[in-house]
Amino acid sequence: MAEDVIAIAERVRRGETTALAVAEEALARIAARNGELNAFLTVSTVEVLEQARAVDAKRARGEALGPLAGVPIALKDALCTRGVRTTAGSKILEHWIPPYDATVVAKLRAADAVLPGKTNMDEFAMGSSNESSAFGPAKHPLDPTRAPGGSSGGSAVAVAGGMTPASLGSDTGGSIRQPAAFTGTVGVKPTYGRVSRYGLVAFASSLDQIGPFASDVRGAARVLSVIAGPDPRDMTSVAAPLDDFEGACGTSVKGLRIGVPEEYFAAGLDPEVEASVRAAIARLASDGCMVKKVQLAHTRHAVATYYVLAPAEASSNLARFDGVRFGLRVPGDRRTASSTRSALRAMYGATREAGFGDEVKRRILVGTFVLSAGYYDAYYLKAQKVRTLIRRDFEAAFREVDAIVCPTTPSPAFRLGEKTGDPLAMYLADVYTLPASLAGLPAMSVPCAPTRAGLPVGLQIIAPALRETTMFALAAAWEAAQA
Amino acid sequence: MNQDLERLRHVANLAELSLTEEEEQRFAGELGRILTLFTELDAIDTTDVPPTAHVAGIEPVSSEEGWRADVVQPGLPHDEALAGAPSVDHGGFAVPTFVE
Repeated sequence: MAEDVIAIAERVRRGETTALAVAEEALARIAARNGELNAFLTVSTVEVLEQARAVDAKRARGEALGPLAGVPIALKDALCTRGVRTTAGSKILEHWIPPYDATVVAKLRAADAVLPGKTNMDEFAMGSSNESSAFGPAKHPLDPTRAPGGSSGGSAVAVAGGMTPASLGSDTGGSIRQPAAFTGTVGVKPTYGRVSRYGLVAFASSLDQIGPFASDVRGAARVLSVIAGPDPRDMTSVAAPLDDFEGACGTSVKGLRIGVPEEYFAAGLDPEVEASVRAAIARLASDGCMVKKVQLAHTRHAVATYYVLAPAEASSNLARFDGVRFGLRVPGDRRTASSTRSALRAMYGATREAGFGDEVKRRILVGTFVLSAGYYDAYYLKAQKVRTLIRRDFEAAFREVDAIVCPTTPSPAFRLGEKTGDPLAMYLADVYTLPASLAGLPAMSVPCAPTRAGLPVGLQIIAPALRETTMFALAAAWEAAQA
Repeated sequence: MNQDLERLRHVANLAELSLTEEEEQRFAGELGRILTLFTELDAIDTTDVPPTAHVAGIEPVSSEEGWRADVVQPGLPHDEALAGAPSVDHGGFAVPTFVE
């Protein structure tokens, strides 16, 4: 879109444009680019025009409009939308139409946003490149031979490709921040519990968190302020009062102590990414931030810890996809099963075999194993203890500093197909985003100087729990410094 | 049968996944390699370290008594709850035979 979230909302409220005109422009941009970029799995043409007309009618009646009046917001296809198909990037849900809205979707509607469609994603959010989508990967808008990142790749591409000014994604181990870094957009993972997970197709429940992508920091802050808040339908949502995220953008960062963890500048970091991130840190220092070194000693164990815990939770969450209450059903062939296998169990097995892709099966197998009798203590319980050590690293660091700054990813966007043959190489791409997820901390990616080849680079800002305001202040200061 | 394959078949059975032979071979090797990655955790001293199942310092939505009020809320209408089911019979989810 030519305009950002706040500009659109203000112009619609003032009557300088109509929500209908904005929605039509978004649909035209989607129509022009989606064939190439595959960002949207479902385009809700009829619904979005209806929603836009309703916003315009509300204004015509003289009613006050919400903070996202007429703003088109794309939704990751893991978010349930009443009456609109929700696939989670999987064949097993290819034709599933949810009977209810996720809480965040209901909140966007109540804020007068309009919802043009559902975006591509790695299947069940398991992936870092969008290549595990059952519907083909979304493509990087600057170079369609490259991955836009994942798992919320389509939501990042919707914004980076100029189709919508903002979108929602979900972040379990980096699934908002990493695609934001790859595509040069702003991506925010709030504190665990800030945003209700009700109606988010669950991957790893102790880690999953919904958050916004936007073309600018303030736009992301406004969307977060709409979707955040406690929800009786999610017992892990936080009862803490909502801070003024948007107001934090533009506040002074002078005297803020920012920590630079050595462990995030280790071997494997692309030199151009390092140079770009260090230049951003130097600029924040010249704006009056106090830069300090901090230690996050257990960072290197985050990949192993995460890939025990997240698949364990996933194997449990995905047990619900069994061909009974919703989604695909494939009748089993009892002749190939053992004599103790009922027709019901044969159906379960055949449905899950046909409905899940490779990466989902791989993680179900890993997760089932680490939870199985005799291995629980050695793998799952051990990883939960290391998770405590990773959390304690951050607690110690945040006694010294107000925020931590580091790269979002070790490299810029890699090529499609580059890592698909090696699951472990793909897992290692998440090394800088996993620790904040395991600790439940708010973290975001903001664009910093691109590489010589023009590929975006992300600066990651991590803040203490519930201190999103500090994160937004720094992100907005850095964004302003580049303007 | 080698140990990797035996382990894989056991886990696939627990997970209700009917894998093809090609998948069994491939995933058996991959599961082995992924579990090898996890062995680095063995070397970390976690004596007296409590496990984190859920990030601390966050209080769930609750009333003063620690529980939310027990108030009846409207749920999904019966027909909508069944609308996405692959097979429905007598107003319920229909499944294949599981008791002979």
